[in-house]
Amino acid sequence: MPDLQELGEAIKRGDRDQSAMLTNAAIAAKVPAQEILDVMVAAMDVVGQRFQKNEIFVPEMLIAARAMKESLALLEPLLVDAGITPIAKAVIGTVEGDLHDIGKNLVAMMWKGANFDVIDLGTNVSPQKFVDAVRDNNAQLVGLSALLTTTMPAIKATVAALKAAGLDTAKVVIGGAPVTQEYADEVGADGYAPDAASAVNVARALL
Amino acid sequence: MNGRERLLAFLTGDSVDSLPLMPITMMYAADFAGVKYGQYVTDFRALVESQIAIADAFDFDFVSCISDPAREAADCGARVAMFEDQPPAIVETDALLASKSTLSTLTIPDPRTATRMGDRVRAAALFRERVGDRKLIEGWIEGPCAEAADLRGINTLMMDFFDDPAFVRELFEFTLELGVQFARAQVEAGADLIGVGDAAASLVGPEIYREFVWPHEKRLVDELHAMGTRVRLHICGNTTSILEPMGQLGCDIVDLDFMVPMDKARAAMGPDQILLGNIDPVRILRGAAPETVRAAIAQCHQQTRPRYIVGAGCEVPRATPEANLRVLTDYARSTMP
Repeated sequence: MPDLQELGEAIKRGDRDQSAMLTNAAIAAKVPAQEILDVMVAAMDVVGQRFQKNEIFVPEMLIAARAMKESLALLEPLLVDAGITPIAKAVIGTVEGDLHDIGKNLVAMMWKGANFDVIDLGTNVSPQKFVDAVRDNNAQLVGLSALLTTTMPAIKATVAALKAAGLDTAKVVIGGAPVTQEYADEVGADGYAPDAASAVNVARALL
Repeated sequence: MNGRERLLAFLTGDSVDSLPLMPITMMYAADFAGVKYGQYVTDFRALVESQIAIADAFDFDFVSCISDPAREAADCGARVAMFEDQPPAIVETDALLASKSTLSTLTIPDPRTATRMGDRVRAAALFRERVGDRKLIEGWIEGPCAEAADLRGINTLMMDFFDDPAFVRELFEFTLELGVQFARAQVEAGADLIGVGDAAASLVGPEIYREFVWPHEKRLVDELHAMGTRVRLHICGNTTSILEPMGQLGCDIVDLDFMVPMDKARAAMGPDQILLGNIDPVRILRGAAPETVRAAIAQCHQQTRPRYIVGAGCEVPRATPEANLRVLTDYARSTMP
């Protein structure tokens, strides 16, 4: 019987080779896909908590997320076969005029780690592109990121565009260095996340 | 005392007539002077005139060449997006060092003649001509970690620390030398002090900082001192976990972002380190009432005095009310260290 606890530990320390090997071993031993997935998601929750407590930092978080992503890819066919679907579909991007992406990438990885289906639109994403992606994918969650005070107004424009398109059932979470809860309230966003780990908790609470 | 006299005296431990004042202004300065930011970052004359206008209007003790992090990377050949009225941005999806093997082919541009670096060197020279000895002239370079992130892509660099430590060290050697040469050209042109922006360093924890970043920052600081200039270190972001080693770099000024508790910084770096900052630029400086700004800056001062310089945690944001920025001036000019 493969050691699922060790799989979780491998993800937490970002050991992609070990986590892939243990995932394959678990699959070969016919461990139910849901059990394997639960271990992975729990591991990423711990990674997020450690990040929030400043016990680990961006490099450690990135390699953990990479290990998770690669193991999840191995598990994907079994999840499909077992009819296990992501808990939500999310669209994420950095808003128009802004090319910064590390914060957005961290949130995307943590959302994937929490078993959300994440469609990452990249950087410099126009309000219309967000609208189209949310509509086309029937997304329940939207993540908007901005690093600059000069690009923050594009968050407001994107939230307004989503509402104008009748997509206000999708919950919008915003974040980025200059973004505040007050700004989220002002522009009508559903949630504000000060960091990537919080973004998981905020999204779970909204869904 | 004029601004330059005040700052130079303060840096050497001599008495001064009031607290020094060194807030970073970039887009704010351009807006104040009615200059589009795209012009500010590409025409040294626009930058210099905007800086002098804001420094005179608010009695800053310095003027600065700081504008954006992409000058060195652009001249090395990185793809940089330019905008009409906001800072240039490095296109990370097309990073210059997406392939590690490219590093061995890179050469350091001549800072005097390269397009964007040369523009900054000319700014330092024009500052000397225009402000003379009235105000301290600050040059600016990217720190070794930030420049490495600019060339390699910040997401990739963060994983390189684990995946290929030898490559990271090789890259940091390049970015260190790039910074030294760029700084030397600005000092020779007239800069009194070099600001070092090493933003990416706030993303790593103490272990990676001590192993990879600190040794290169330390060599940079030592090289800058060896050329007879002074050093202001500014690492955007939360550096609370690396305060102690930052305090061991020997920088003349450590300029902290707003997330860092100033009392912790003072405790970690000792009584002699000059600290600068660090009110929240967006929530307080731009968004709060003047009395709140005053209370916040007074708290920073109380927690760090007497070796303290007035400033915000990072750039003064666009659309900050003039009355709020004036609070910093009034506090500095009416208060002794």
